[in-house]
Amino acid sequence: MSDAARAIAEAKSQEGVPGRRFLDPKVLARIDDLELVARFVVEGFISGLHRSPHLGFSTDFAEHRQYMPGDDIRHMDWRLYARTDRFFIKEYEADTNANFVVILDVSGSMGYGTSGLTKLEYAKYLAACLAYFSHRQRDRVGFVSVDTDIVDYVPPSAKHLNHVLHALDRAQPRGRGSLAIPLLKVSESQHRRSILLILSDLYEPAEKIRDALGPLRDAGHDLVVMHLLDPAELNFTFDAAGTFEDLESGERIPVVPGRLRTRYTELIRDHVAAVERLLGEGRVDYLMVDTSKPVDEVLFQYLLRRERMQAVR
Amino acid sequence: MSFLAPLFAVGLAALAIPILVHLVHKERKETTLFPSLMFLLRTPYQHSRRQRIRDWLLFLTRAMVFLLVVAAFARPVFDRPPDAAAAATGGGREVVILLDRSFSMRIGDRWSRAQAAARQALDALGPADRATLVLFAEQARAIREEGGSRAVLRAAVDTAKPGDAATRYAPALILARRTVAASELPRREVIVVSDFQRSGWDVGEDARLPSGTTITPVDVASPDVQDRAVRAVELRRSMADGRERITVTARVSNVGPAARGIEARLEVAGRTVATNRLDLGADAGGVVTFESLAIPESPQQAAIRIAPDNVPSDDVLHFVLERAPSIPVLVVEGVAPGTDRDVYLERALEIGDRPSFDITIRRSSQLSAGDLSGKRLVIMNNAPWPTGDLGRRLEAFVRSGGGLLVVAGENVSASTWPGRGNGLLPVAPGDVRDRLSDKGAVLGFIDRSHPALSLFGNAQSGDLSAARFYRYRTVQSDSGVLARFDDGSVAVAEQRTGTGRTLLIASSFDGLWNDLPRQPVFLPFVHQLAQYASGYRAGRSVYEVGDAVDLRGTGPAATDSTGARGVAYVAVSPLGSRLRIGGTQGEPALIPIEAGIYEVRPAGSPGARPRLVAVNIPGRELDLARFDPTRLTHSVSAPVESTAGAGAPAEADLTERERKQSIWWYLLLIAATLLVVESVLAYRLSRGRVTAT
Repeated sequence: MSDAARAIAEAKSQEGVPGRRFLDPKVLARIDDLELVARFVVEGFISGLHRSPHLGFSTDFAEHRQYMPGDDIRHMDWRLYARTDRFFIKEYEADTNANFVVILDVSGSMGYGTSGLTKLEYAKYLAACLAYFSHRQRDRVGFVSVDTDIVDYVPPSAKHLNHVLHALDRAQPRGRGSLAIPLLKVSESQHRRSILLILSDLYEPAEKIRDALGPLRDAGHDLVVMHLLDPAELNFTFDAAGTFEDLESGERIPVVPGRLRTRYTELIRDHVAAVERLLGEGRVDYLMVDTSKPVDEVLFQYLLRRERMQAVR
Repeated sequence: MSFLAPLFAVGLAALAIPILVHLVHKERKETTLFPSLMFLLRTPYQHSRRQRIRDWLLFLTRAMVFLLVVAAFARPVFDRPPDAAAAATGGGREVVILLDRSFSMRIGDRWSRAQAAARQALDALGPADRATLVLFAEQARAIREEGGSRAVLRAAVDTAKPGDAATRYAPALILARRTVAASELPRREVIVVSDFQRSGWDVGEDARLPSGTTITPVDVASPDVQDRAVRAVELRRSMADGRERITVTARVSNVGPAARGIEARLEVAGRTVATNRLDLGADAGGVVTFESLAIPESPQQAAIRIAPDNVPSDDVLHFVLERAPSIPVLVVEGVAPGTDRDVYLERALEIGDRPSFDITIRRSSQLSAGDLSGKRLVIMNNAPWPTGDLGRRLEAFVRSGGGLLVVAGENVSASTWPGRGNGLLPVAPGDVRDRLSDKGAVLGFIDRSHPALSLFGNAQSGDLSAARFYRYRTVQSDSGVLARFDDGSVAVAEQRTGTGRTLLIASSFDGLWNDLPRQPVFLPFVHQLAQYASGYRAGRSVYEVGDAVDLRGTGPAATDSTGARGVAYVAVSPLGSRLRIGGTQGEPALIPIEAGIYEVRPAGSPGARPRLVAVNIPGRELDLARFDPTRLTHSVSAPVESTAGAGAPAEADLTERERKQSIWWYLLLIAATLLVVESVLAYRLSRGRVTAT
């Protein structure tokens, strides 16, 4: 039995444990094949739902029904009206045929992880699952990896899932990161309005992040920002005093964690709150992801939330 | 204790240098990789004492010597007792009492406890003190003592009552800040008497108090609160037998233990028309839906009412039951009868109920002045400018607030609209451009931030760029442009004239020049432009205390030409007080302060049918979650700085006191003694080590 098969068997055995609903990231880490992980996670939790949630914003036609006052007139079928001289409303049941583009931050800081997976590996799993999910509902999937510029690009297409998964697999943490320039370039390259999933640890001032997302938001894209943070970054659980080195800049400073912890956790929480507030004001969908949480739990909560948002919209 | 030369305290830093150097040197052994030092760099660095200090007595002696010398050079002065200090500066305390009178203060005995706390604060004031009472809820009002008498403050505390508004701490704190900042008294205190509702505190608001201000929170909330409230109502319209009906659904919340069989009544014009029962779980909510009912001809006040509890004001939710709003529209057709080229526009306007369009159709050749009467919008659908008196009347119609939508087909050109239609058009329509050869133009720029097109800014709201334009009028303009074709020519432009507005669309709506009418997006596009041009504002059946109600706006008033600026209104509040709004005093906007039904009529028309405005307790005020008052204290406290108000006399006083006390002399004497002790200790320890080696 291969390592991957053993890991999947172990994961499946966990599903049977009472109270154990989601998959441990450490188990997923032992499966090398991203497509396998994506298929396993996505199919696994979809089978646990009563019906398929949906992510996109374009529509899958289901049936016609007669127009009633109070119906949303945007769903009126004009072509049918032209033929029959009667008003009919199109009804939809799922969203399809959207562009879904993953924008993955591959800066050096994403290579950090203390809970079995680095943030980049975790982001790869999330991206692979959502790309697989979008492909499953017949959306076009694309991929962009960025540091201070665009590193890798796969244009969105209904046939590019494998390209996206390979590009995800190739992604390695490297150098410094800054979102402004690569996101501006992405906005210039994506003419069709798309769902853009941005996976990053957002180590920039909140205002800069908001400004970086500005061109994409102004172009009418549906923006989803997943802010990945390791538990050690959130809680600063270090004990021993020593020198801390920045993974991106290589800068070093001496630190006594016990004395800095309170202030540090305040600052990181303020940062998360500021990012959430500013992105919320810009109608950007924001989710803070703790990389110690199971991937499918994050996915599950996120997709249900998207579905509720679709209902509201 | 104060210091006459506090800058000498900088000398203490020298004490830290050898220790810092030593500890930093020790910590370079380990390196921990971390994603970013962004937040670590912002954190003040502190060293760990990893090296155990030997010879504690010697170390302390030397440190004490150093400290004493620095302290002596800083020339310390003992402060006087507080009462003496206050007497010396000739004043006492500036006390600001913030008294919360929001809706939640009605619960239990909160208000009586708050009044008692305010009275106690007033009684504790000394003769040299000065007090200000700030009554606040959503807004804040300051009451100051008059001529040293606090009777007016006591009377205000006794007569004030909690209202229906939500809590907001920031305005009250800003008022307090202004008061204490302007005060010359040496001590400042702000007393906050409230139930500290979480919904009233927004950390984003800058309400920091001046340095040195003492903040004393007085929490009057009782821990166990039980309250049932009608939180929201949803009105769903439908048609049955040609009549408009409405289904009312209300959301009821329950803070406290579970309750079964709660009766909910739907009242219309004060009469109960339906009753329903619902069960509520502990600290949970429930929904009650009533049978649909026919909407009366004229607007009626309505309410959802549940059985009263300790806080009866939130057991009722008021709303207005009225027919869907309608915009009267005159469509002037420029094409020959029987061609059916106008069918798309007319059918599009026939659809929809929020608002509906009451359409009158006229051929341009049959147009008469009477057709403009009572209309809010005129659509010139490929029709030429009406010349003579009719043109002047149309211009006057727009200048007085009407809307004009011009759809430019073959009949709309610079020659058929001379002088840009008496200047109503934003720009003259140019020649026809044919794009059949390159598969037609698309909209290359759409101003989705414009109110008329903001609906299309959402991802799911239709794609205007999907329409193909094979022929259009070339229009060049740099201002007032809502949309452009891909060659830069204007597709939709706007101009305001007087209080009305004109929109020009540079292509036709007949399905010949473009395929826009056959696109799903056509319907909302036409509706949005028509609503915007007519000045329509979406109405609401329910408002909250503190909301601004635009009286020019919605419901029956939407089609009321008296809603222009300059017209005065009289509003009668639920408790019967009369308010004059608008006129020369500004915009006609009502800001309600009581829950219930307001009746608004144009001033001087007491017999006119009133516009009903249903006002309720703000939803966020019904969220009774609380926060720790110390958070408020920490958040608004400024770091302590030296008081600037003391000025030169205070400095002279300090110098004089320092000269009399001469503490520096004693400090130097002690330091010298300790130096002798240090010498003896150092000698002994040194000799001991030499002996040991």
